[in-house]
Amino acid sequence: MKRGWITWNQTELPRPAFDARLEAARRRLAERDLPALVVYTDIWRSNRVRHFCNFMPYWNRALLVIPRETPPMLLCGLSPRVYPWIRSVTILDEILPSPNLPQRLLQLCAERAWTRIGALDFRAFPSDLYTPIGKGVAVEDISLPALPDQPELSMYRRAAMMARDGLKEELMRGVGLFDHDFTGLLERKFRRAGAEDLVILLTNGRTPPAPPRGEKLGSTFSISLALEYRGHWIKIIRSPAAQVSDLPGDAYLETLAGPYPYELGEGALFAARWETAHGGVRVFHGDTYLRAPQGAQLL
Amino acid sequence: MLNRDRLSQMKDLMAERGWDLLLLYGHTWRKDFFRSVININFSGPHAAAAIHRSGEVQAVMSDPWDAELVMDCPAAAGFGAGLEQLARRGGPVAIAGMEMMEARFVQAFSNPVSATFDVEEIRRIKLPREMERMRQAAQLADRGYEHFAGAIEPGMKEYELVAEVEAFLKANGAEDNFMLIASGGTEVTGMKPPTEREFREGDSVTTELTPQVDGYWAQICRTLVLGEPNSKQRESFAIFSEAQKAAEEFLRPGVNIADVARVQNDVFRKYGYGEYTGPKYTRVRGHGLGLHCDENPYILEDVNYTVKQGMTLIAHPNTYLPLSGYMVFGDSLVVTANGCEALNHTERKLFQK
Repeated sequence: MKRGWITWNQTELPRPAFDARLEAARRRLAERDLPALVVYTDIWRSNRVRHFCNFMPYWNRALLVIPRETPPMLLCGLSPRVYPWIRSVTILDEILPSPNLPQRLLQLCAERAWTRIGALDFRAFPSDLYTPIGKGVAVEDISLPALPDQPELSMYRRAAMMARDGLKEELMRGVGLFDHDFTGLLERKFRRAGAEDLVILLTNGRTPPAPPRGEKLGSTFSISLALEYRGHWIKIIRSPAAQVSDLPGDAYLETLAGPYPYELGEGALFAARWETAHGGVRVFHGDTYLRAPQGAQLL
Repeated sequence: MLNRDRLSQMKDLMAERGWDLLLLYGHTWRKDFFRSVININFSGPHAAAAIHRSGEVQAVMSDPWDAELVMDCPAAAGFGAGLEQLARRGGPVAIAGMEMMEARFVQAFSNPVSATFDVEEIRRIKLPREMERMRQAAQLADRGYEHFAGAIEPGMKEYELVAEVEAFLKANGAEDNFMLIASGGTEVTGMKPPTEREFREGDSVTTELTPQVDGYWAQICRTLVLGEPNSKQRESFAIFSEAQKAAEEFLRPGVNIADVARVQNDVFRKYGYGEYTGPKYTRVRGHGLGLHCDENPYILEDVNYTVKQGMTLIAHPNTYLPLSGYMVFGDSLVVTANGCEALNHTERKLFQK
């Protein structure tokens, strides 16, 4: 996971977009009279910090601190040797070496005389951070809906288009290939096209889609492709045996904007999946949607 | 799928510690505790293997698709609800991986204790079937590096090369691959994810490849020069080669891991580069390998741990030197009765193309 090309194209994602997101967080801090918000990130739960500053910890973990009055700071477990790279792909200037994250955060609170702070989805912090931070400073659990803004929606749409168009071109080539070979083919194609990460699951219909296991793919195989384009994940599921169909009412839904159990409120992004029977095997289908006022809208 | 030998060790541990329930927790990135007993490459966000004092095992998964893939024991989807159900049984609970588990899940239990250290200690000694997979992963790392060295060309971008290597490894059975890369000269101070930088003649190109086969990760570190290596690149590589050899010759059961770091660092000190063995320029002089690609113990002079037969690890004296910038060199090793054996068989040289 997460070892592809991490970059920041400021034309595609301009700095003012981050300023607006930080401002929204600061408004919430002001409502609660809190001096700063802390956001957790690691190699697989990177969406929320990336939303605010474009930082992606390809390794280790970090805390983003968003003070109400000053620019955000990164408390970072990575070596200072990679700070130039971090600065080149994020909006961040201030990066504080933090081999011990809770200790560094509490030191910062003491330096700034912060006796109460906010933490985004604090109960979802890893317990080895949650406990010492909670013992050292009063923490208010803050929830911010994970709703994409216009620049994010554009990037999610680009990811979805990359995945749909790419699979449309390659899907039939999978028939007769071993699942590992088809996975390799797609890895090369999408990573060269700029995908940051991929998760590919395949099945011949006797089980749900799963990581490749050395099976030759038949004419009714299904593929689940989760693709990340510059921090924006989408998921689609296709099979040569199934036509694209409308979202059924009993589809399984999952939020895509983070691992947390956000409700699928208006504006939220979600992946939907469903299955049908075809010649005695299970065929799967799915896509990524935006919950718009008029209902689910294909991204 | 169910590792019955490891399960037996876990049950012995539970009896010794007086635990009624042992949870082996995993999430998308760290599946290792879970997979040490139920070796399923789950795709949902969370999973836990629950071992009861009776010996019964059950899997609690986030995603219904994952629950369907578990064959040798009962499995249910619905992670939070599943944990709450387990918590209602009462009795002393231990969790391996508790530190990385979200607080809201830990809070489902009353006073759970961490089993992380105990379970890591058990996992360090690889079982015969685990060693087979480690060897397969190391062999794939060798083939992956051969592909890397064959594919790289001046003008190619770093991320394009990574795409080629990922494609090769996945086509040849890797579940995943942890890979870092860097290219350039003395300005390069460490490895990172690939960028759009194009390779140039004279570049020193460093990489660590870490393919995962059926859950188990093995690693190889090599440096390649595009074109003829200059005298400083050769001088630098000779130091790295001597340091890695020192570690390999020293490593055996009973030695302290701190000394495995020391013998590597002493080589750098001998040549006047002792300052480049500290945290300003490097992270570790190696680390454990297995179901996670960066396991304890870390090979550092301030880590006190006695090496045991059957451990798998990599010794890599990777660091920055002013001679030629950041350089890497290392092989995966298994500790044998009298020493150690390299799992990689890629030529030990400064590669050039």
